[in-house]
Amino acid sequence: MSVGRAILRTCCAVTLAAAALPWAALAASTPGVIAFTDAEIRAIAQHGPWPVKAPRDPSNRVSGNAAAIALGERVFFDPRFSVRGNVSCATCHIPERHWTDGRKVATGLGEVDRNTPSITNVALNRWFGWDGANDSLWAQSLRPMTDEREMGASDRHVAALVRSDADLQCRYRKAFGSGPGSDDEAVFVDIAKALAAFQETQVSARTPFDDFRDALVRRDFAAAGRYPESAQRGLKVFVGKGSCNLCHFGPNFTHGEFHEVGIPIYRKTGGVDWGRHQGIKQLLASRFNLLGRYSDDAARSTAVSTQHVVLAPQTFEQFRVPSLRNVALTAPYMHNGHLATLREVVRHYSVIDVSMLHAAHIYLSGEDDIAEPPPTDKLLKRLDLSEREIDDVVAFLETLSERGGPRKNARPPVSTPCR
Amino acid sequence: MYFAAVFPAAVAAQTCAPDWKGAQQVQSERYVVAYRTQPEKVAVGRHFAVDFAVCPKPGQPVPESVKLDAFMPEHGHGMNYKAVVKAAPAGHYHAEGLMFHMPGRWEYIFEVGSGGKVDRAVRAVAVE
Repeated sequence: MSVGRAILRTCCAVTLAAAALPWAALAASTPGVIAFTDAEIRAIAQHGPWPVKAPRDPSNRVSGNAAAIALGERVFFDPRFSVRGNVSCATCHIPERHWTDGRKVATGLGEVDRNTPSITNVALNRWFGWDGANDSLWAQSLRPMTDEREMGASDRHVAALVRSDADLQCRYRKAFGSGPGSDDEAVFVDIAKALAAFQETQVSARTPFDDFRDALVRRDFAAAGRYPESAQRGLKVFVGKGSCNLCHFGPNFTHGEFHEVGIPIYRKTGGVDWGRHQGIKQLLASRFNLLGRYSDDAARSTAVSTQHVVLAPQTFEQFRVPSLRNVALTAPYMHNGHLATLREVVRHYSVIDVSMLHAAHIYLSGEDDIAEPPPTDKLLKRLDLSEREIDDVVAFLETLSERGGPRKNARPPVSTPCR
Repeated sequence: MYFAAVFPAAVAAQTCAPDWKGAQQVQSERYVVAYRTQPEKVAVGRHFAVDFAVCPKPGQPVPESVKLDAFMPEHGHGMNYKAVVKAAPAGHYHAEGLMFHMPGRWEYIFEVGSGGKVDRAVRAVAVE
């Protein structure tokens, strides 16, 4: 950028912002900044500021506890917690791949039905897993340890390892105040709570979008003009014609709930993945949910969603709306890795056949509890984007990822004995 | 989805001018509903509660049952959570568990039943 152009931008920013004109009028006279309406600016502003500090989890008494975070990190990378000693959490949540594995579906001891989500920013979730079958990060952390396709272990296996390993036992005592007791399940849950404490520390860095969003909010044209114009046009589609921001809402680009978006739900191993509908059933049946005895939140203040969630017909075929932060670094996409690239994802919404939404459960299932059809979904519509618009939306999505390679702290912990 | 609360008629005899900051009123054919949200400003993706009072218009019967639901007409869906309505002091009602999980236009739907009829009082609100 030339000095003259920079001065022009700065002058424009100061002079015109003081005049309090609408952004569209201001931007029209500023090179490198496209016109946004005030409504669009309000919508864009809702995607920040970033980072968001997640509160400590009252249901997990070691949330934010340094000793528990250290224990959780140790466990996360330790394959001895699997039944054969060869699979750890990091087998699928690979630090160098931004805590994903690059596969369509996860593979531990066997192949799983769903894509590995990143653990980045997971502390901001309301629901966990693609189907929201768990209502806390610690309950979600229990699941892969016992799933026979993932780590295949048991509470007995986990508790025995913690009791027999001097280093783990020491770390457990530091985190929880006393050594592991005789109750296998209680020790198992504590280990999951340490895992949750570690995962809560993984927060994505600021992105080019965050710089643009903040510049927009403070009406700083010079800074805003450094954001690629193609990304600006894509953002305009995102909050306008595409209405993508209605589900990918807020600083973490997700409203945390579920939607049916027309992705095939057949499992490779046979049968159908009903998504949220099955997730709610599992949640309510689980003794590890936030209404159960393992929650450390005596007031049950964190259990409101669990108390009030509805098993409605539209929950069939729904999957959790994922965050878009670091989205360019975490391909492939959708609950089963069905789409390989961001371009394929945007094109999917461009040509989506809304008449097929919720079709599977109406026509294919013989279950008694799905006789009632879901309400007509009026939200999703075929966008019919031009090739340039698709390019622009992809350009915008690419700016939601942090710069640089793997994060510095994304390596297995150095072995320092616990004393 | 909603949860119905059924109360004895005597409980429903109440004022429709509660001293509530930020209270709103909405009417059906036979009733006036005064309500407030807690917190006053409803945020997308956050649970909130609603306090409300139901007052019969002159000559109308007291309510026998009340329900509260919310819906997004443009999207064709309601909430993912069911509001549970309970009796509150002074003959009022307290609904918990509501959440507007998306930005946009939502409608509060108060359903008041009595004498075999159900009134609907609907108030649209914009949530950003």
